[in-house]
Amino acid sequence: MVEDEPADVELALRALRQAGLEASADIAQTPEEFTEMVQKNSYDVILADYKLPGWNGMETVEILRQQGLDVPIILVSGALGELTAVECIKQGAADYILKDHLARLPESVRRAMRETKLRQDHRQSQDDLARSNRDLEQFAYVASHDLQEPLRMVATYTQLLAERYRGKLDADADRYIHYAVDGALRMQKLVQDLLAFSRVGRPGLALENTDCNVALQLALENLKAAMQESGSIVEHAQLPLLMADSSQLVQVFQNLIGNAIKFRGSEPPLIRVSAELSGKEWVLSVADNGIGIAPEHAEGVFVVFRRLHTHAEYPGNGIGLSICKKIVEQHGGRIWVESEIGHGSTFRFAFPIKPTTKQ
Amino acid sequence: MKNSPEILMVDDNPADIDLTSEVLAQSEGHVHVNAVNDGVEAISFLRRQGKYAKAPVPDLVVLDLNLPRKDGCEVLSNIKADPSLAKIPVVIFTTSQASSDITRSYKLGANCYLKKPGNLPEFVAVVQSMAQFWLTFASLPQREKR
Repeated sequence: MVEDEPADVELALRALRQAGLEASADIAQTPEEFTEMVQKNSYDVILADYKLPGWNGMETVEILRQQGLDVPIILVSGALGELTAVECIKQGAADYILKDHLARLPESVRRAMRETKLRQDHRQSQDDLARSNRDLEQFAYVASHDLQEPLRMVATYTQLLAERYRGKLDADADRYIHYAVDGALRMQKLVQDLLAFSRVGRPGLALENTDCNVALQLALENLKAAMQESGSIVEHAQLPLLMADSSQLVQVFQNLIGNAIKFRGSEPPLIRVSAELSGKEWVLSVADNGIGIAPEHAEGVFVVFRRLHTHAEYPGNGIGLSICKKIVEQHGGRIWVESEIGHGSTFRFAFPIKPTTKQ
Repeated sequence: MKNSPEILMVDDNPADIDLTSEVLAQSEGHVHVNAVNDGVEAISFLRRQGKYAKAPVPDLVVLDLNLPRKDGCEVLSNIKADPSLAKIPVVIFTTSQASSDITRSYKLGANCYLKKPGNLPEFVAVVQSMAQFWLTFASLPQREKR
């Protein structure tokens, strides 16, 4: 309790005990005393008088914040104007009680303790979740990194076997070696893709003012061969500046446009990139005239290693869109697709103008 | 007639030593590959200490980074700090793609940094071009008579 009047302390405690709460209290009269007590002991709730000699009860809120403590504060005051009361709640007080309405105190204390407990449980599970996600990403990273070395041995030496003993054993042996080589090379690609995917989640997002027009040009540069080979045309409107990791933004454009080229229909790909300001976010769109996606797969395509076609139809490991999703979400944004089979696809991603990064 | 070129390969992976030796044996130039498996051995070889008293002076050192006992960067800085060894070109040949490893190696005086490729055709191509560049095209300092 932060209180300068011993009689008021007694009244408050009596009110709590009468309601069945086993209450005991330490009394602080100055900010220094208060700070020392909250540092040393842990309290379920703080009852603070608003008007104190030389300071006021709301300063306790600031002290708790500085100490990084989450203890509910209930203001108990003789006369508190409605405006002041509202302001106190805004600042972070859990409740306020007038001294001539102490009967309300027990319920207020119970509620404040309940809410604090909920808040702490919630924070705890959020922390647990974040930690487990970090561990998982770390695991994926380490696993894919360390898998590369033994895989390299399998791939090179099965290839050496194939090269040196082709036609010298029998037809079965040649075929078996071919399966082994093929499997090793495919797994190598998978592991590399998994590594690329887990790298996106690693800390160190370099946010800067990124010109989407430049990012798009860089992506198109990287796709030059595929664009020429397929006769693709990419049209784009003026694109905005985004607060983003520029290399990751290039990757998003590259994966989306790369897919538009890969999953083309009978016509040469026509790809339109545009941007639209919508509320507090920019929505960028990459629209194509390709084969389209059935609505029931609109969410699944963003899942890592999810593929809708066989390797023979379209090569790839199903990693591209999951990387896009991870990148966009890391920037506090969303990504989705609007499409119909045979009518092209439009991938859209929304970027907050002011990003909130998740690490 | 010129002596056949001598390479010192420092690698703890016997499979990579085998493969590199195989590739070089199949190529022209009669390259002789001397192999050691850790950094301490590498320095003994280069300084002709102990069982390496009669070891040849290599024309080229092919050095892995991740080595037992003394890692590749230490071996590299030992070589470049030793006036009698500093002139031998050192090619880093490793699986690491980390830009920190690449930068550090060049800062320590590496003459070239090559990543070990993950498949046979590329591995063959990299080892052959390395040998061709360093042992055929490049002019190397004369071997010291010791």
